[in-house]
Amino acid sequence: MPDPQPSDDALLRSLAERDLGALAALYDRYGRLAYSLAYRILGESESAEDVVQDAFLSAWRGATGYRRERGNPRAWLLSIVHHRAVDILRRKTTFRPAPLEAAELQPGDEDTAVSAERNVEHKTVRDALEGLPPAQRRTIELAYFGGYTHVELSELMGVPLGTVKGRMRIGLQKMRRVLERTR
Amino acid sequence: MNEHVIDDLDAYALGALTETDAERVAAHIAECSPCRAEAAALAEVVSTLPDAVPSREPSAALRDRLLAAARAGAVVGRRPSPVPWSLGRVRLSRVGLAALVAAVVVLGAVDLDAYRRLDTAASERNDLYATLEGLRQGGRWWYMAGKDAFAGAGGTLVDPRADGYAPFVLFHDLPPVASGKVLTVWLVSPDSTWARAASFHPNGRDLQAVPITMEVSGFDRCAVTLEDSSWGARSGQVVMESRIATAPTPAVP
Ligand SMILES: [Zn+2]
Repeated sequence: MPDPQPSDDALLRSLAERDLGALAALYDRYGRLAYSLAYRILGESESAEDVVQDAFLSAWRGATGYRRERGNPRAWLLSIVHHRAVDILRRKTTFRPAPLEAAELQPGDEDTAVSAERNVEHKTVRDALEGLPPAQRRTIELAYFGGYTHVELSELMGVPLGTVKGRMRIGLQKMRRVLERTR
Repeated sequence: MNEHVIDDLDAYALGALTETDAERVAAHIAECSPCRAEAAALAEVVSTLPDAVPSREPSAALRDRLLAAARAGAVVGRRPSPVPWSLGRVRLSRVGLAALVAAVVVLGAVDLDAYRRLDTAASERNDLYATLEGLRQGGRWWYMAGKDAFAGAGGTLVDPRADGYAPFVLFHDLPPVASGKVLTVWLVSPDSTWARAASFHPNGRDLQAVPITMEVSGFDRCAVTLEDSSWGARSGQVVMESRIATAPTPAVP
């Protein structure tokens, strides 16, 4: 009997062999997450959908260029989504409002239909982020969701570039340890 | 080897570098395995951040659009013989770019609306002028006018002849074809051998770029036929064609 849940790595190998079924499976697995990310960055559904379509097509065409040693398939796919969304954001405007802090990460409009497993994942990441000191958390959020470069953040937050880098470094290392513990 | 980039790896993983800095880091990572391992670990940490955002459902149509676009690309990408170079992401993206330039050529003017009608990414449109420059340095193209049922339609075979730019045909106003039929682009050599260069379905838009998976040089004619299959020898009727060997190389407007 064929494996009903092929691994991400297996899906990517099939993608490289031009298997449309693998693309559909990958979309079913990560389309919603990719869209949520793009929407969070762009705040608008039409361009968020464009970004997701663009990113999955780019993965479809570029799957042969994927290298496992650069990160897992999920990280690769989401980095394409992120890159495209931020690219659009940076072109769209030179001024981006700073995202709200606590309110942004409340599960206000969370769909209750998401699986229990995913909710656990969501909660773990939220807890890991919320466990960070505010300055580290805000630096990471503004960089990743706000599309700010570290140089821009240094100006925006009024701290030296080295401080921004330090906050990113320490914040990500803390998250890494938290996530490793729960794996 | 260049200096390690440890200092910038966190910002790199978060996508918080300028393009120039990100390229510098990527170049270093490609050659340095300790930095590469650290970057991969950070990329996986960062890839959990989307789990922290409110979950949203895209429209159901997005899935269909994505699969249709991939399927159209898959037909175009199918090829009868091994290709001399990889048809990777960069190259296909270049095809998209070059198609934009050809839209200018075909329409005889800088028609901004034509760019929007092309099914291509905004980021590619922004690189239009770089590509135009590539074509300016020695690209060639030939126009094929449609006949009979294809009167009013046409296609421009573009051979950019620049590194990183694949040949392609930019079609306009293609009529729909019966289900089960495919359009096939052929390159015909001086000894009348027909080589299949691409098979595709019209996408229903008024402009459509179709990548060609072989070098154009060495052939003296290109043609498009309506076939029953994406494989095998030519059997269908010619719907458009052009001589390509002796045509003069026009100047880029
Ligand atoms: Zn290094």
